[in-house]
Amino acid sequence: MTHPSSALDDTIHQRVRLGILAVLSESRRADFGYLQDVLEVTAGNLSQHLAILEDAGHVQITKAFEDKRSRTWVTVTRKGRAALATEVATMHALLDGIGSGQRP
Amino acid sequence: MNADEARESLAFSEYARKRARDDMGRPWLALVLLASLSVVSLSLTDAATSPTALFWVFAGPLGAGAIALYAYRRNRSSGIESSPLAYVAITLGLLILAYTAGKIGFAFQVPAAARFGPAFVAAAGYFALAWIERSWMVATISFALLAVTVVIIGFDLSSQQSKALVFGLYGITLLAVGFSLRVARKPVL
Repeated sequence: MTHPSSALDDTIHQRVRLGILAVLSESRRADFGYLQDVLEVTAGNLSQHLAILEDAGHVQITKAFEDKRSRTWVTVTRKGRAALATEVATMHALLDGIGSGQRP
Repeated sequence: MNADEARESLAFSEYARKRARDDMGRPWLALVLLASLSVVSLSLTDAATSPTALFWVFAGPLGAGAIALYAYRRNRSSGIESSPLAYVAITLGLLILAYTAGKIGFAFQVPAAARFGPAFVAAAGYFALAWIERSWMVATISFALLAVTVVIIGFDLSSQQSKALVFGLYGITLLAVGFSLRVARKPVL
């Protein structure tokens, strides 16, 4: 029998990356500026987190030229959506386990 | 990861999720449009068999188009995109079902179905809207309107009286809610 924490995904097991996937899972896509604003991170920091998620296949990044300016759109993949659902469920299960373990 | 970190991460992801939902906009325009169209639909219920029913040929695509345009403009300015397809599908589905209910009521000589069918269909449409927007308020109002329709049927009023009641209640309530959602989004200066 494995411990529930073994189901946690190291790639998204981080506050900002979890936030990125949470935003994207609610929408069709979001742009870089929006994510930076919501998650309150620097551009460099956000770029690093997005690169990690992209390498893992959790998000897809598209650069477009709109209204004479470049825009970076981020979309969650099916794999990313599933990973987020698993991660959240695992964390809830862990917290439930801790809660029930504290009962007399 | 300890329990506090897990709680903090979950709370943060929930905050991000809610913020995204809010920024994608409340369903004010969809609600106002659906309300307006279904109110007109209700007023034309008895005319569903006459050429005036052609209203839907124009109102349906125009309503759906307006919602899609609104969603597109909103997405471009906010930096977060929702799919306008759900709104369009609901609008068109609602209109087709409302019109069909009127037609079936007439074909099978069931005046109540022709008179109230579209009202039930409209309420179902608002439930669908509540689901995609995860809005308990819209769901509650939809349920209330459904209950009101059932009560009006129970009173056995004349066609004109019941039509006027349904027309007024649906129209006023939904337009008021729609506009209040719109106003709630405007920052107070």
